[in-house]
This record gives sequence, C-alpha cells and structure tokens, in this order.
Amino acid sequence: MEIKGELMGIVGAENATDDPEVLSSYSKDSSVSSPRLPDYVVRPKSAEEVQGIVKLANEYRLPIVPCSSGIHSDGNTIPSQGGIILDLRRMNKILGISGRTRMARVEPGVTWGKLQSELEKHGLMALNPLLPHPMKSVLTSHLEREPMLIPKFEYSDNLVTAEVVLPEGEIFRTGSACVPGFPDKSLAEGVNPGGPGNTTWGWILRGAQGTMGVVTWAQVKIRPRPKIDKTFIIPFKRIEDAIQLVYRIQRRMIGEECLILNGLNLAAILAKHWPEDFDSLRGTLSPWIVLLVLGGGWRCPEEKIEYEEEGLQEAAVELHVPELPNSVPALPGVERELPRMLRRAWPGGKTYWKFADKGACQDLFFHTTLNKAPAFIQAISQLSGKHGYSIDDIGFYLQPLEYARACHFECNFYYHPDTPDAVGKIRDLFTEAAETSLDMGAFFTRPCGLIANLVYDRATSYTMALRKVKQLFDPNNVMSPGRLCF
Amino acid sequence: MLEVEEYKHQAETCVRCSYCKFIDLNWITSSRFVRQCPIDTRYRFNLYSAHGLLHSALAELEGTLEFTPKLMDALWKCTLCGGCDIRCKRNLDVEVLQVIETLRRRCVEQGKGPMPEHKVLADNIRNSHNKYGAPAGERLGWMRKEIKPVQKADLVYFVGCASSYQQPELALATAELLKKAGTEFMVLDDEWCCGHELFATGQLELAREVADHNIKAIENLGAQTVITSDAECYKTLKVDYPKILEKSTEDMPYTILHITEYIDQLMKDGKFEFKKSVPMKVTYHDPCNLARLSEPWFHWEPHYEPPNIAVGKVWRRGDKGIYDPPRDILKGIPGIELVEMERAKDNAWCCGAGGGVGLAFPDFALWTAGERIEEAETTGAEAIVSCCPQCKAILSRVTEAKKTGMKVYDITEVMLRAT
Amino acid sequence: MGIPGEAYQALQSIVGSDWVSDDPAVCEADHLCASGGYPKDAIRPACSIEPASGEEVQAIVKLANRYRLPYVATSTYYLGETSPRKENTILIDLKRMNKLEIDEDNLYAIVEPGVCFSALQAELFKMGLCTFVPGCGGHASVLANTLFTGDAPTGWRHGLGYRRILAAEWVLPDGEMLMLGSRSLSKDFFWGEGPGPDLRGLLRGISGRKSELGVITKLGVKVFPFISEKLEPEGRAFHTHLNLPTNRFKWYNVRFPAKENAINTILELGRCEICLVVMTVPPLFRTVARTRGAGCGGFWEGWAQLGEKINPKQLELRILLFGIGAEKRLAYEEKVLLEIVEENEGSAREAPARDETNFMAADAICACVVGGRFHSQLSYESIDQDVKFGDIVIEMTNKHKPPILEEYGTTNWLCPYDLGYITKAECLRMTDVEHVDELNLWSLDCQEAFLKQGAYTNFPDDEVFGAVWGNYHEKERRIKEAFDPNNVSHPK
Repeated sequence: MEIKGELMGIVGAENATDDPEVLSSYSKDSSVSSPRLPDYVVRPKSAEEVQGIVKLANEYRLPIVPCSSGIHSDGNTIPSQGGIILDLRRMNKILGISGRTRMARVEPGVTWGKLQSELEKHGLMALNPLLPHPMKSVLTSHLEREPMLIPKFEYSDNLVTAEVVLPEGEIFRTGSACVPGFPDKSLAEGVNPGGPGNTTWGWILRGAQGTMGVVTWAQVKIRPRPKIDKTFIIPFKRIEDAIQLVYRIQRRMIGEECLILNGLNLAAILAKHWPEDFDSLRGTLSPWIVLLVLGGGWRCPEEKIEYEEEGLQEAAVELHVPELPNSVPALPGVERELPRMLRRAWPGGKTYWKFADKGACQDLFFHTTLNKAPAFIQAISQLSGKHGYSIDDIGFYLQPLEYARACHFECNFYYHPDTPDAVGKIRDLFTEAAETSLDMGAFFTRPCGLIANLVYDRATSYTMALRKVKQLFDPNNVMSPGRLCF
Repeated sequence: MLEVEEYKHQAETCVRCSYCKFIDLNWITSSRFVRQCPIDTRYRFNLYSAHGLLHSALAELEGTLEFTPKLMDALWKCTLCGGCDIRCKRNLDVEVLQVIETLRRRCVEQGKGPMPEHKVLADNIRNSHNKYGAPAGERLGWMRKEIKPVQKADLVYFVGCASSYQQPELALATAELLKKAGTEFMVLDDEWCCGHELFATGQLELAREVADHNIKAIENLGAQTVITSDAECYKTLKVDYPKILEKSTEDMPYTILHITEYIDQLMKDGKFEFKKSVPMKVTYHDPCNLARLSEPWFHWEPHYEPPNIAVGKVWRRGDKGIYDPPRDILKGIPGIELVEMERAKDNAWCCGAGGGVGLAFPDFALWTAGERIEEAETTGAEAIVSCCPQCKAILSRVTEAKKTGMKVYDITEVMLRAT
Repeated sequence: MGIPGEAYQALQSIVGSDWVSDDPAVCEADHLCASGGYPKDAIRPACSIEPASGEEVQAIVKLANRYRLPYVATSTYYLGETSPRKENTILIDLKRMNKLEIDEDNLYAIVEPGVCFSALQAELFKMGLCTFVPGCGGHASVLANTLFTGDAPTGWRHGLGYRRILAAEWVLPDGEMLMLGSRSLSKDFFWGEGPGPDLRGLLRGISGRKSELGVITKLGVKVFPFISEKLEPEGRAFHTHLNLPTNRFKWYNVRFPAKENAINTILELGRCEICLVVMTVPPLFRTVARTRGAGCGGFWEGWAQLGEKINPKQLELRILLFGIGAEKRLAYEEKVLLEIVEENEGSAREAPARDETNFMAADAICACVVGGRFHSQLSYESIDQDVKFGDIVIEMTNKHKPPILEEYGTTNWLCPYDLGYITKAECLRMTDVEHVDELNLWSLDCQEAFLKQGAYTNFPDDEVFGAVWGNYHEKERRIKEAFDPNNVSHPK
C-alpha cells in the first residue's frame, strides 16, 4: 500500500493501479513467452513523473518495465521479476515537426498511425517498418532498430537524439540535444547523435529493451513524401533470382521501398475479404515477390521515375528477368494503393495482417546477408517439417538494409493459439529454428525473449562488457531485470 | 648541405603527416603497391621515414638525441631516392632530402659515419679514381678499335665507373649509338669517378676534389656538352657539382645530357630512327637519379620574409625530371610494347642501390630490388628496362637469384638492338 | 628510467626482437603525432612495438597491465592526440597490421589499423564500389579515422564515420578481447549493432578515439555503390588528379549573392536527394588548391589577391553531380540543380571533370604550407546552427587577429552530410609558430561563447561544458575506470 500510495502521489490516483485484471493484461503478449505478473501499472505523463517513479524504484529496489505500444509481440514487456509496468502511452505528443531540419520529435506514446497522418499533411513522411500495428509506438520501433522499408543508407540510423531518464533517475539528453535550452532556447537543433563528449550515448539505448533507461522523447529523421509513385510487383519462382534483382537495384541506388515477401505474406497483406481473397491470392501469387516502389522526386518527379525505371529495366535485362509487372491481376488498382499502405500503419479496425489467417504469429528474425538467405529458408523449411508444421504456413520477409549491405530476415510462424499444445509446439519449433540459425551464422542483433539466452550464452565477451556498463548505470538493476543478459 | 638555421627551419616545418611514405595518392591503383619509401616499408618504425629522420635531425641539433644504433641504421639505409621529398612538396614545401643529406654530413663530421664500406669507397676513389679500386689506367679498357672518340668535338662522353669497369657493354652500346647517330664525341683521358656516393655519404671534401678535377678536365677539352648513360653521373654533374660550388646548373661550364635526352631529341628532329624491330613486352624502371632527382639545381641563399616565404627561391618539386624521353624512345622502337608498373615516373620505387646502400647494406638493397621485380612481374612484361648501370646490376641480381625469367636491360642495349 | 628488463624481454618474445625497440631515436621519432599544434605534454615513449596481429596486441596489453605500464596505440599517428604523456609508455604502432578483405556483394570491408583509405579505395574501384576519403588525406588509417569523425566531402552520401562502423574486434584496456556486432556470434563483420544495446557508442568516445579505452584491432567498415568506369589518374608530382567520366560526373561551382540563398539551396538539394558532393569552399582551401606547387610565397600572393575580391556575405558552393545507376540520371540531377540555383539567384559555372582531392587524395595538409600552426573549432549540427556557430567564431577571431591569420570575415567550411541532415562547420584558424598560445586563447573564448549562446561543438572542453551537458565527462570517466582498472590505456 505504501508503494502504491507513493506511486499515486507521483502520477495521480487514476494513473497507478494494482488491480489484478489490469496486472494480468500486462503479464502476457502475443508471443510464446510465458506470462509473468507485475505488481503495479503506472501511467506517467511527463519526464518528471517518470523520474519520480524511477527514483522510487531505486529506493525500493523494484523492477521497472517500460512499455509504450499498445501491442507487444516479442516478450519484451513481460516483467520477469514483478515490479512496475511503466506504461508511457499517456506521453503521446508530437513535440515538433521541422521540414527544414527534416526531424520529428515524439513522445513514447505516439503511434505510427498518428505520426504518419500528421506528417502527410505537410507532405512529409517518417521512415517506417513494414505495416506496423496501429498501436505500435514510433519510438519503440526506433529503439528496437526495426528495419525500415526504404533501404537507403542516408536514412538509416534514424533515431537521432533522445531524452532519457537514466536508471538512477537522472534526466540525460543524448547527442546535440544536450545543450541547455534545447529546443527553444538553443542554437543546437538536436540533429547530431554523437556526444555529448563524442561518445554516442544514444546507441547504448537502442536495442536495450528498457534496460538502460526510459526514453521520454526521441527525435527521428523524416523526409519529403514522394509526389508520385510507380509500383512494381515482380514475381519469382526462386528466391535466389529475387535476391539477385534486389542486389542490382540497390547497387544502382534506385527506388524507395524495396522488399521481398513470399506469396503467403503478400496474400495476407493484400487480402481485403477474408478468407476468399486470401485463399485466391495464395493460389495465384508466385512463391516470391519483389515489391519495389519508384518514387518521384521532390522536383521533376516524372523524370526521376523515368531514369529509375530505365535503370531497373537494365538490371532486369542483365538478369533475364522476363517481366516487371506493376500490378497483381487479381487486384486491379493495388499498385496505386500499395505505396500508400507501405507508408502508413496498418489501418485500425482491421485485423492485423499477421493475425488475420490463424489468429497468432510468432516471428523469428535476425540479420544476415541476402546471399545467405536461401540457406536459412531451406533450413527453416526442413525444420518445420520435422515439427509437423507445414511450410506453406510460414511467412517470409526479407528486408534489404542500406543498399542491400545486409538484410533483415524474418519468418512468421502462423498458428491457431487455441489449438491444444499449439503454443508449446510453436515454441519448440521457434527455439530450434533460432538455434539452427545461430549455428548457421545468423546475427540476432536484437535478441528477444527466448532467444536472448541463446545469444548471450554465446556472445560471452559482449555479455561481460554489457554487464559492466549496466552495472555502472543501473547498480540496483531496476530497469527490466532478467531482460537480455541482465 | 644546409646551414644550421635553414636546416633547423626545414626540419621544424615537417608536420609529420606521413605523406612521405606513400606514392602520390591519386596514382594508387592497388593496395599492394602503395608505399614509396623502402626503409618505411621494410622497417615500419616511424624513425624509418623522412618525417622520422627530420624529427631526429631536430633532436640531434638540439642536443637531445645522439646517433644511436637505430638512427644510424635508418639514416644510412635511406637510399636518398627523393620520393619523400617530392611527395612532401605536393602539400608542403620542405627540403626533406637536403635535411637528410645534411644529417648524414653532420654524422660524418662527428666521426660517427659514414659506414666502413663508404670509407673504403672513398679510399678507392682517392687512390685509384674509381669506386672499385681497380687500376686507374684501365678505365678506358672498354674501348674497341671501332670506337673512335675524336680529339675535338662539341660533346664529351662521360662514361662513369660502372660502365668503364663492370658493365663495359653499356659503354660500348652508348658509344655505338652515338656513332650511329653520326655524333662525334670525346672522352676524358683522366676521367675520375663522378663522386656520386661521396656526395651521398657526406664525404664532401673528397667529393669537392673529384668535382674540381672533372670540371677542369671537361673545360680543358673545350666541350660544351657532356653526355652520359649513367643516371648517377648525370645527376651528380647536373645537381651535386653546382650545389657544392654554390652555383646553379645553368652557371656550369657545360650542359649535361643523358643519352636518352639526346637520342629522343634527335628522334623528334627527324634525325634518328629505330629501324629494326625488337618484339618484346617491356616495362620501364625510372632511375631516381634520372627522374625525380635530376631537375636543375638553383643556388639560393636563405632569405625569408614572414611568415615563411622563401624569397627568390626556385623550388625543385620533381615534375621536371627526365620521365618522357626514355618512354618515347621505347615507344619509338618497332615491336616494343611498353607497359607501366603501378609505381612509375615520379612514383617509381627505388631499385635499392642508391645512397650508398648497395655498398653498405647489400641485403636490404636486394630486398628493395626484389620488391621492384615483383612489381614488374605484375605487368606481364618479359623485360625491365632502365637507364642506369646501378639499377641494372641490382635488378639483375634479383632476377638471377630468383630465376624469375625476367630480363633486365639498360636502355642503351635495347636501343642498339633496334638500330 | 625505462621499463623493467624482464618486461622488455617479454615484449621481444611477443613480437620478435626486430619489432620492438627502445632505441632513443626510435622513441624520439614516436613521441609526437602529426599535428598543426604541438601537444605540450608529449614525451618519449619507453619503447615502440609493432605487433602483427590482434593476439600480439592482446599479449602486449596484458603485459602492460601486469607491470602497470601505460600504453598508447597508433597507426598512421596522424591526428588524435595519441602522443605519450606518461613516463614508461609503450607505444603500440599498429602499422604492420594491414590486412584487408572486401565482401563485394555485401558492401563492406574488414580492415586492420594499417590499411589506408587510398589502398582500400583502389581495390574498391576495381569492383565498382567506393569508400570515402577524409579531408586529412587518403593515407590516413581507415580504422582510426572512421572511429574519429571520419568526414569527407562525399559524406553528403556516405555520412560521418560513426555511421560506417560495422563489427569490431576490440582489445580492452585489460587485454581481454571484446567482439562487437556480428563478430560476437560468428566470424562475420557484416553488421555492427548489438546484440542488444550497442556498445559501439563507446568506441568513438573521447576515450575510444584517443586510445584511452584499449585498441581496436579489426573493424568492419561500410562501402558504397559506385560506377564501373575507371577514374584515370593524370599528372605528375604536385599536379595530379583523377579524370572523371563525363557521362557520370559533373562539377559545378555556384556563387550566391547571400549566405541564406546558399543554405536554402543545400537544404533543397537534400530534399531532392541528388549529388555526391555538396559543400562550401573556404577561401583558405581554395587558395591552397589554386596555388598548389607555388609554395608558401605563392600561397600568400594568392591569398592577398583573393582578399581584394572576397565578399564575406557571399557564399560559393562546390557541387558534384553523380549519374549512378542509369544513363539519364546525370541529366536529371543537373536539371534539378540548375532549377534550384536559379530560384536562389545563384550563378552556376561548370568546372572541369576531374578531381584532385575527393576520391583518393585530400587537401587538408596543404593548409600547413604557410609553415604555421592551426587550430579548429568543429561542430556537427544543423546547417542553421553551423552558420551561427561560424559567426561566433568569426567574432572571436576578430578579437585575436593579428596574430591569427586574416581570413577576411569569411564563413567557414560547411560540409553537409547524409543529404544535409547534419552539417559540419570546420573553422580553421592559423598563426605562426611564435603565436601558438594565441590560438589556445582564441579557442577558449570560442568555447565560452558557444556555451553562452547554446551552440553545440564536437570537441568540447570538459572544464567548460562537462557539468552543463549532463556530466558526460563523469560518465566517461566511470566507463574508463570500469574498463581500465589499472589505468594503463593512455592515461592522463
């Protein structure tokens, strides 16, 4: 009671609770991670309130687990040792948009839906991941280094500066946002992630899953929205051929959104009427599809598309790609819709595409290079058979990164959560797939849930160094204990 | 040799950027052949580089450093190829080579240098007027009946020790070429060693003596033009003689030409032609003394205005060396296919023999030459051609030892085959 | 005093006696890094050692910890304040470690400290790829410079150094080997972040880049798509350049009547995502480039002539258009550029299609041709901040000139990166050898003015900024203490 009273004193009585139903709702997510209950849920409105909670947590050695999205699928927000869920969704302001610096500053509770629609009014857009859930926090996506659809190097590292409440309660700003008076009374505009003092502090926060502090706002890159687009939906029988085309496209530095999906995933994304569209698309779409959007430039948009298309044609000729279709026969007009879809969150009110078919999905994702992706696909396909799971039910998504220097490799295990033993079976398949991928050289740059143990057991030197840093800044280990290697 | 004030000023101006270690960056075409400086490439410590030596020069002058074993090693293994000097001058104006030469001189004056082998060389020159200690009377022993120098001509052929004693085929080839070009020439009855290694090793008193002798001998012949096929002799007569006399090259009582300059000019004037085909794929090695180091010398008394302006100085930055004539000659020979090494012209890697290094540190000299042969082999050439007996000798030693199959020629030999 | 005999013998057994030396001349040559201003606290190392591998570096560092001997690591020893500052320092010279591997398909290279940019660039050009070449010169170490600021004019596309770091092998101050990024889980260097929180942020710290946090022995670096046509070199000695294929490149020099017009142009070019190089050309560098080969005297003559023509209110941009990926791209970029220039009342002149300093070589050292000393104020921030930053520097310079070189009140070098998301302002000031102290006073005045006016600078004086900027210096000190408990890694 004492703690709860203190929490209420910080955030207001209506924003702190230990109600069992509420606690239960935060104890699990859509992943196969085991549920664990927190002790309290609080909803602060400001960095000062966050600071107060963090200081209290240190006093009582209570764990804190921050979360800012309304949807979680990686097990990252399930408390492993009880404590306080810090739900940041009340901090949902877009603090600033600048077309001049091409930056937007957002609080944790700002969703992709909110940000993109606001930016669209100004002819701008943020770099977003693939069809984020409407309740997904922009800040979380950036902190978790989710891959963006536009693989241009110039736009990567797009979380620039941030304000963070450090684990002992100090408010700290990274990069050039550290200048007192930022943003209104400083010359600095918070666009340099380096520093203060040349250490890139912000990088330690990324991928940290709430273990290094609570980010209370972040400044992210935005860019002009292309004025016109031309979509290509290019079918391939073999993944190797799709990959080669993507390599060539990226070497020529052409195109905006560029990704590879298998037929299953594209069907799930494009289907309007369930299950008939989905079933029909599954039957007609090719095994692999390269989605490419050529965006008209800020100036002379048609001419930009013209030369980019010329480059694409040349690449296709080099590789003997027979056709470069702009559409899907079964879905006329999809080519116009697709760029808009890809620059927005999944529409609210419509079942999220990953849950639409079977109701649940466990994602396995890591980084590799595109040329190694086929081997992973084959290995995972074989494993799925071993676990009695149909290959036809696995979604694959390859996202080239930074001109195809690497790729985000994602496979989606769709399953019916209510089927007996379904969760257990998926967990087994998922775990073995993760181990196998690790053995094959997959790099889990952001290991979540079950995978974290596998990764940190192997990355021994990194684990030791991380723990050292963690000990320095979170001596009481209050921030998301049990997460990652802590 | 620089006076103390100027010596200190030049050494202080070095900012240790390390440009001196690399060939011109715009000309780098692979990661293998990037470096310019043999001692840097082999020994890697910063001391073993121009900036290391300049820094040492300053410390030695200030009394905070003596001629330690490593300093002696770095200083005397420098081949004085001049690559560092011209590389520095792309960005800064520092007389790198002159500082190194002066440091050598200071080492000699303090009795710490030169190397024993250099002292033997000096004794040979003193006693026999050639660097090998061979009988002075045999210096003209290379001549044949059919080679007839005349008693009076405008041109005197300065043969050099190497061609006189060890590679007479080069002297014969040169003489034959001059004959085929219809050029009458004289030779010195009493030609002494040009003294190249004496200058290089800081033994300046004897160097002055040989310079005085040879200049007088040339004057006595009444020759206006001196021609040589030895790059070391070329550079010595063109640069070191006026330098030690505190004159400019243009003030000397002769004009010095390399055989390639001479033949090239005749070719361009339509007075000489190579008629026979020499089907061969060759690469050309620029001798340091003909290329980077051969620009005319300009005497200058140090005079600066603030902040650092050298008033009246004519800078020698390496762009006016003899790079094109040998190449134009090779291209003018039917059948020759000329391919360039990656480090060519002002970027040429030294053969390793210069600066007295061939004498005192033969292993290191051979290593340096070995690097050059390896580079030549990457061109696919059958032969490497140079314009200097010293280059030819050491490169040949490598090809013979390694049995590479690559042939080594002096350009006079190739030219003769084409006439 | 020297290091203990048994320690020296141990060093010899690690690398072989040829590769370690305590000869006073070797140590003397190693006691100063390259610099336009001499670090006052530099002393001779006790010995210099040249390891050939990361394992040898590890062994050396462990030995240093055992005997509590300070050490510092250098490669090209160019910039970076790595001159030894404590007695008995072991100087670890990494030049022998020069292995290079390139993954052509996946756009990255793995470099050891001894690999220089020009060597890497030469190999990449053969594959239709490229790296950047920093302003200090293509002979600088790729590894060291990328960890430093790593900035170059092609950063308009290639970003700053911190954006190009991938995985790494890092010998920590105590001699343990830390693998970062993908290297932590496999032998791959292709990705740098994680796993989890990204410790690469520490690599670039004042601690990291000054060798105060151990030694990076291998680094993955990003490389970039380029063209397949060859850039042919031409020229000799001090007049060399690369010829740029005219179907792929075009240079423009554009003059604007006012700074604001130029700034707006830069921002618009970024929005349009065109060009490969966009930057201002400071009069100092312009004069140096134009008088290359004319020495100090030639420079001063050129500088005096320039002074008569300079209008500090005007700004000139140098822009390189880049036709990669498609034949018509160059024409597109040109059309867009000229449209923007016209709107901003600029006057554009096409310049010869060649390059002296952006792809292989660089100009920065030329700034020393005057034989003087220099100091810089640097900021990487928005272009608007950087313009004001430059104004502050000009104001402070006026208080200290002479003896600081007359720069005619000109704006400083503005070099935008990442399509203009971030811009460097480099404010270089020069003086002669006798007046180096004036530069230090100038720098202090600048720093205090930055603090007062809320400007960000990348090389802050800890005494001035530390407490105000989140006590970053204390945090760095804690990291240093945690990772270097024996305080042997280039201690202060």
